[in-house]
Amino acid sequence: MSGTSELPEPVYLEEKLKEIQGTGRLKYRSKALPTWCPGCGYFSMTEGVASAMNKLGIASKDTVIVSGIGCASRFPFFMNAYGFHSLHGRTLPVATGIKLANDRLTVIVVGGDGDGFAIGGGHIPHAARRNVDITYLLFDNGIYGLTKGQVSPTSVLGFKTKTSPYDNRDLPLNPLMMLLSYRASWVGQAYAGHPHHLTDMIAEAIAHRGFSYLHILSPCVTFDKTSMTYQNLGLAVRDLPANHDSSDLMAAMAQAMDPSSPALGVFYQEDRPTLGDAMDETIRAAGGKVQEQAAVA
Amino acid sequence: MRPITNTDIQIAVCGSAGDGTIATGDILNQAMARAGYRVIAFDVYPAEIRGFGECIACTRITSEQVYSLKQQSDVLVSLNDAHAIAHVPEVRDYGAIIYDDAPITTLKEGAHISGHIKPGQLPYGLPMREISERATSAGKSRNMVALGFVAGLYGLPREAFHQTIAAKFKGKAAAITEGNVRAFDAGYEEGAATFQLDTVRLGAPIESGTGAIVISGNRAIVRGCLDAKVGTFFGYPITPATTILEMLAAQLPRQGGRVLQTEDEIAAIGATIGAGYAGVRAATATSGPGLALMTEMMGLGVMAEVPCVIFVSQRGGPSTGMPTKTEQSDLNLAVYGGSGDAPRIVLAPTNVEGCYKCAGKAFELAEKYQTPVIVLLDLYLSNRLEAVTLPVKSPFAPNLAKGISTRDRAGDYARFALTDDYISPRALPGQEGGIHTVTGLEHTEAGRPKDTPEVHTKMTEKRHKKLASAVRHPELTIAKRFGDAGKVDVGILAWGSTFGEALEAMLEARREGIRCAAMKVVMLSPLPVEVIRSFCDDCREILVPELNYQGQFANLVTAATARAVHRLNRVSGRPMHVEDIVIEIRRLGGGTRQIAAA
Repeated sequence: MSGTSELPEPVYLEEKLKEIQGTGRLKYRSKALPTWCPGCGYFSMTEGVASAMNKLGIASKDTVIVSGIGCASRFPFFMNAYGFHSLHGRTLPVATGIKLANDRLTVIVVGGDGDGFAIGGGHIPHAARRNVDITYLLFDNGIYGLTKGQVSPTSVLGFKTKTSPYDNRDLPLNPLMMLLSYRASWVGQAYAGHPHHLTDMIAEAIAHRGFSYLHILSPCVTFDKTSMTYQNLGLAVRDLPANHDSSDLMAAMAQAMDPSSPALGVFYQEDRPTLGDAMDETIRAAGGKVQEQAAVA
Repeated sequence: MRPITNTDIQIAVCGSAGDGTIATGDILNQAMARAGYRVIAFDVYPAEIRGFGECIACTRITSEQVYSLKQQSDVLVSLNDAHAIAHVPEVRDYGAIIYDDAPITTLKEGAHISGHIKPGQLPYGLPMREISERATSAGKSRNMVALGFVAGLYGLPREAFHQTIAAKFKGKAAAITEGNVRAFDAGYEEGAATFQLDTVRLGAPIESGTGAIVISGNRAIVRGCLDAKVGTFFGYPITPATTILEMLAAQLPRQGGRVLQTEDEIAAIGATIGAGYAGVRAATATSGPGLALMTEMMGLGVMAEVPCVIFVSQRGGPSTGMPTKTEQSDLNLAVYGGSGDAPRIVLAPTNVEGCYKCAGKAFELAEKYQTPVIVLLDLYLSNRLEAVTLPVKSPFAPNLAKGISTRDRAGDYARFALTDDYISPRALPGQEGGIHTVTGLEHTEAGRPKDTPEVHTKMTEKRHKKLASAVRHPELTIAKRFGDAGKVDVGILAWGSTFGEALEAMLEARREGIRCAAMKVVMLSPLPVEVIRSFCDDCREILVPELNYQGQFANLVTAATARAVHRLNRVSGRPMHVEDIVIEIRRLGGGTRQIAAA
């Protein structure tokens, strides 16, 4: 820059709106206005999903977004796609049923750390090992936000919340290590504070054929002023090493071992038959005819 | 000896787990059905896989339609005296007890069954192990020797047994069939050469070539699912529903369907609801403890108006209870279970043929009314075997869904629109112009979350009122009256497996001159109140026999009709005794007879 007196170029809302409309991603958003707190990472995620769908050219009518209970509950209402707002912790079984009923649908699951790893923890290993062809976007802010600030399975040690007033003493889970050991066929991590990278990762996760798990780090701007803040997370995150081999499970685990320095990118990916493929194989083995799942008119 | 035309023989085979008791009963059932007799059978098996669990296979062979097993058997075959001794009193006077009279070790006094046979019962001892060893050079075919002996003694059709044995071991090594046939024949010769002392007689069969097969309640459920063209099935093993999952795992893929054994019952119902939402016929099967886990998801099905079918086979409860014993104590859970005002459809078949019909009809109802449907069985009905004739062509409607119209697609589609019949047009994922989100939150007609008094009142009403017409669903028996028409002294209201015993008891009481009638109620929710009320109006006294302590069905009836009823409750883990019901009918019906006599 030549001089300190120069002002930055002004941004006019009208022009910005035109630019956003021009991208075409708005057609993936519904008219309902999000109800999250200003500054919440879910706004990045909503934009990320819309942009990723736009990038991949997925039809709204062929997409189902499944949510459970938590701040992600209402996510489907803000998107222009079929939606199923289900029960606390039960997103993965519902999504599995939807996908098995109609392979042609793109099924995206959204949920938080409490929904996924506390009440819903029993379903994750099975969705992963069976390689259900769905995308699981897990939004980790280390706290229960919708119920106004209680400790979660990913809260760090020493974190004070309304239900851990004398410090959290439960060792937090390491979700990436769990998903890698369950053999999820695509495992990645992104950060709500890096929205463009987040969008790319969501697109990759959706494009992956099989069970894809994207761990999205985000602050809870309302109930966490000390732990996973934009400042702390922004300083902690790093890129995966340029030479990281995403086909190497051991290397992926090594990268996931240290949660205090979270790496962003694709940890692991592999191609293997999906649950739908396995079911069709069973049908053929039984002498049945695999039903062509025609597009519903 | 005077010729016998009417057949009614009940044979109980009792052994220890691993003796081949259940297999013996199975061959007996299939062979007698093959020969043109009516068969109704029930096996009692232990929770232990091997070890010292008691098994009983009980078969009633008749030439006329009967509805339950008899309290006392005509013949008891002991494959294991330690278990069978306790069942000696269950054999009628002049009935037969058949046992191994050459036990492998010297038994202590009182350990052999021959010391427990009552005067009037007729013993037949034969060296089962020795005969088996002579016939097959192994002692393990004792069960087939015993079965052959029974067949030879009573002149049961030998050829039908040969065919059944061959069919049972089809696909296995030929030597297995041959060995079993040799053991059967050796026993048959022994039986045929034995002078018959008892009064058990075989009459002529009803007719042959009826196409009847002997199947269990669970197998009938499976046949119903297959004929209703179920697309996906999700299950988690639990006695006594496991065999539904097992049979469908083998058979559904043959017609292109998908079966998944999930990680738990919550996942099973979750996936069922997911698949139902996506537009295929979906079902799961469980027992009481599993249903308890499923109730939250069932509530979601009610709220989000998603079709799904849940087969529930009850067992003794609460908690783990008695996994291999029967009970009817999950009615409350099926009809009321879960949070909130959550109306659902509950069907309780009363016999094996009813299991087939209710299974198929459940898919029609779920689809039409966009709601969870429970088909409620119990262990006794799940495992009971009956000779039935099923239709060759599926009688079930392939699609009763109310889809979206061109007008829905053009305008602002409202998934939960209020219509005349309270059933809203349902769009499926993938359909153009039908995009919507379903939710467990209270919502507007458009499906948007909203909790105002007006919305909650209106939508709660919608979810209840849409089910009202289910009692008129075509070709579905929701309740049926048997016995005397018009005013009666005693009316029996029964449901589920117990109805068979209730019907037998009613018929017996009529033979004794008591004016009585029995009604089976198949649809437990919504309850066909009008039909029940008009039945009650005809009855001076009403008796409700059921296999639970609280009188759960009696409570349902009383709440709906404000009529006081007499309750007959048993929690023995066994089917109800016909005689127990008859005693109650006599007691209640006695009043008028005394008046008439005076």
